[in-house]
Amino acid sequence: MPVEIDLLSVERGTITAPAGCGKTHLIADALTRHGEPKPILVLTHTNAGVAALRAKLERASVPSSRYRLATIDGWAIRLVKTFPARSGIAPAILELRNRGADYPTIRDSAWRLLRDGHIKDILAATYDRLIVDEYQDCSARQHAIVYYAAQTLRTCVLGDPMQAIFGFGTDQLADWERHVCQHFPIVGQLQIPQRWARVGEEAFGRWLLQIREHLARGGALDLASIPPNVSWIRLPGDQRDHEIRLAAGRTSAGADEKALVIADTRPASQRDFAKQIPGAVTVENVDLTDLIDFSDRFDLSSTHALRHLVEFAGSVMTNVGSADMLARVDSLRAGRARREASEAESAAIRFTENPSYSAATAVLNTIAAQSGVRNHRPAILRGAYNMLKSCEASPGMAPGEAATIVREQSRLIGRPLAKRTVGSTLLLKGLEAEICVILNPELMDRRHLYVAMTRGAKRLLICSQHQQIRPQ
Amino acid sequence: MARIRHISIENFRCIQKLEWYPAAGLNCLIGPGDSGKSSVLDAIDYCLGARRTVTITDADFYRLDVEKPISVTITIGELDDTLKSMDAYGFYLRSYRATTGAIEDEPEATAETVLTVNMKVGSDLETVWTLVSERAEAQGQSRYLTWADRTRLSPNRIGALADHNLAWRRGSVLNRLSEERADTSAALAKAARDARVAFGDAAEEQLGETLQIVTDTANVLGIPTGGKLKAMLDAHTVSFSGGTIALHDADGVPLRALGVESTRLLLAGLQRKAASEATVILIDELEYGLEPHRIIRLLGSLGAKETRPPLQAFITTHSPIALRELNGSQLVVLRKQDGAHRLHQVGTADDVQGTIRLYPEAFIANSVLVCEGASEVGLIRGLDLYLESTGYQSLNASGISLVDAKGVTNLYSRAKPFVALGYRVAVLRDDDRQPDPATETAFESAGYPAFRWRPGRALEDELFYSLPDAAIHSLLEKAVSYYDEFLIEAHLRSVTQQVLGLAECRGPVTPATRTAMATASKAKNNAWFKSVSSYEEIAREIIGPQLGHADPGFQEILNNVWAWMTSAS
Repeated sequence: MPVEIDLLSVERGTITAPAGCGKTHLIADALTRHGEPKPILVLTHTNAGVAALRAKLERASVPSSRYRLATIDGWAIRLVKTFPARSGIAPAILELRNRGADYPTIRDSAWRLLRDGHIKDILAATYDRLIVDEYQDCSARQHAIVYYAAQTLRTCVLGDPMQAIFGFGTDQLADWERHVCQHFPIVGQLQIPQRWARVGEEAFGRWLLQIREHLARGGALDLASIPPNVSWIRLPGDQRDHEIRLAAGRTSAGADEKALVIADTRPASQRDFAKQIPGAVTVENVDLTDLIDFSDRFDLSSTHALRHLVEFAGSVMTNVGSADMLARVDSLRAGRARREASEAESAAIRFTENPSYSAATAVLNTIAAQSGVRNHRPAILRGAYNMLKSCEASPGMAPGEAATIVREQSRLIGRPLAKRTVGSTLLLKGLEAEICVILNPELMDRRHLYVAMTRGAKRLLICSQHQQIRPQ
Repeated sequence: MARIRHISIENFRCIQKLEWYPAAGLNCLIGPGDSGKSSVLDAIDYCLGARRTVTITDADFYRLDVEKPISVTITIGELDDTLKSMDAYGFYLRSYRATTGAIEDEPEATAETVLTVNMKVGSDLETVWTLVSERAEAQGQSRYLTWADRTRLSPNRIGALADHNLAWRRGSVLNRLSEERADTSAALAKAARDARVAFGDAAEEQLGETLQIVTDTANVLGIPTGGKLKAMLDAHTVSFSGGTIALHDADGVPLRALGVESTRLLLAGLQRKAASEATVILIDELEYGLEPHRIIRLLGSLGAKETRPPLQAFITTHSPIALRELNGSQLVVLRKQDGAHRLHQVGTADDVQGTIRLYPEAFIANSVLVCEGASEVGLIRGLDLYLESTGYQSLNASGISLVDAKGVTNLYSRAKPFVALGYRVAVLRDDDRQPDPATETAFESAGYPAFRWRPGRALEDELFYSLPDAAIHSLLEKAVSYYDEFLIEAHLRSVTQQVLGLAECRGPVTPATRTAMATASKAKNNAWFKSVSSYEEIAREIIGPQLGHADPGFQEILNNVWAWMTSAS
């Protein structure tokens, strides 16, 4: 497949890359053709992004000697660690005990190090050029890092301001027009909707590109004039809405098709939908907050250990009936119960009498094996299994500590998509499927709406009471 | 690529401590013998060479004290991209500022990016190479150059045994000239098989008896041999080690059969061609096996005359020709002072350059006696020859060099460079004319002796006023033999307003005849003894033997000079 733009010919510039237009392919193509001895530095934003890009590059058989892949922050940490004195960074910062404050400090130190020119020749000696992906997610500080690195390295950044939906807390995003396009002039825009063309739906893809322009200019989405791939699921605007949304989420999908269900931003509501849509699972935030919370609380020596465990099971699996189960275990142990203990209950009793990490694993296993029980939050449950396994293997390791390790590992591993995945635009960005269901388009701004609409390659279902959706 | 910016050596052989910022091009180490010049070369070679081990013995430790580790630290600049790669050496890249010589642990915008390598040998005699970085150490990290980079940085040493460079062996300069390599394995395997065929049964005749015994024994023991054992060439043992491919001339004679001279010259030339790869060249005893004009050629091929030196060379020499050929910025005097080794760059100031061109030998000596003129030089040499004949040790053993300043006005400008370079220096002068008193006072108060004849006297005055009568007559006869009676007569008459002549002076020695001869002998245009050789002769034949009977004042001066010269070593 020929590429539209040759990245290797860009000395300094921005390429606008709308969703699904083959941005990753463009990068892979450049790295494949790159024949110079020095590798190209490829930076992106998240560890997940690095994992995804690495997987794609490996699939495209790009030799790993051609590139160095990292997150901007990861690279910044490496710079300041390698040259601590010139960065003027306090060693304590690098321990990242206080992520919120430490990352901005590290970014500041990194761009100052680059600005002051101490490692210019070293950069030039190490890398052939610099490519930065997902540039719309760059904070002002991260942009400064790239800006100063670009004083030495030929630099091409790729991004799409219409997909800028991340905010980095106190770290403001770089202004696309005033900073990014000023420092890296626009070289071109990708025009071919590859993702849709691949499945024979190029017209749908082209319509999305038009909508992108329209939304970018502040236009509204008119559900009366939509291509056949898009369905408007009308909502009456009353208590029936929920059932209709659930039905949309359950829309039929072919054997090899997958669906993404985009709910509002509240995790509780995402879980709720995942529970009620057969085969659906949630996508979790990278911090795996619920795993960490459970692990921090979970203590074998506590009298509440079983309760914590069973309640946790109830939070990640459907139909567990945690309260009933705990009551049953109490009466069984007291000899009051008439009915015999189920396998899960027996495992729970064994755990109470002789608490161990393997016994805890057995409790989760037997609960999961019960009929009617479905795991709708596999990322958290899998994390819990891994956490228990690590604790068992290394005595003395606290569950909280083990969970942090599990979390860091999971950042680097991409997961195959489930049949149906429920999440917010933030959580689903970067994922793509054949079918996409948008449950609450009226709550989205134009960028979120555009990102949401571009998640499905074949079919898009939009639940809305109104024909016109006019995002902020 | 890659130049040594700084060298620090500790506890290695005779060097307790040495710090040096060598020049980017040619560095010619000069200095008295055993001052550690070759040890400096060895230190560079051991530290940067691509070797798995270095053979170090207790004798390589300073004063045999193995408790104080040998440490050689070399900072390298002009790094190529591979050596500056953050991936490989990020934690180890440092900075060097040429203007101040400061080396800091991290790169700096306005300074050069460098790597520092260290070789350490402790009492276990294990050699450990590491890259120096305080920040890496703080994080518990440690590493050394990759083998490939070590090979590239490895200095090329042109020693007496440079043969390996004339074959495609490991570390040979030939491998650095290009990437080409000959694949010999297939050809050698075939040759081995052919040899086996060609050799055939030849061994059977020579080893027939042994074969028979083995065959019989095998048969008796029932070991199957197929009836008859054969002696054949074992193709597997026909092996060729590295250096299978070597350079040969048109007639097929291996080039290693060339004389030392041509070999070294060719290698230096090749080294230069390979300079993009090879970095540092080490040559011990540059003049070894070379005719004078070839020394000049060799220096030329090392880039001695180029403004942008193609390679960094470290050489040692005792050759005055080499010294004369080089620029003061390429010459470095290595001296031991107050226990520590000091390196002084000779420098390019005019007086220094001139002094080097005129007296290259002096720079190889330990102590320098700057004499006002040829007469003092001849006097000292002659006296030395006389003393040697009576059983004293020659001044040569003390490493004394005599420099003829050619006049009192040049005396201190000649002495100055030697002082600056850390030599032991003294001056010896007449007192009929005085140098600038301030200069002399400064010289003396810095601890350098200024020997001079007694107030107002030139050497001739001292001789004719101080020596016993017999010596006076001998000197006069010597003068007559150099000139003739008529001329000497004329000299004497002219300085005594016709009062005294040759006949009177040949008669009894009186104060008047002494004065006449002293005055006549130093006449401006017709000095009786004016060359080094004539003074050498009178000193050996006349002054030396008669000195014991001379005026004590004169004796004392010479004794002082001698005491200074012989306490040199």
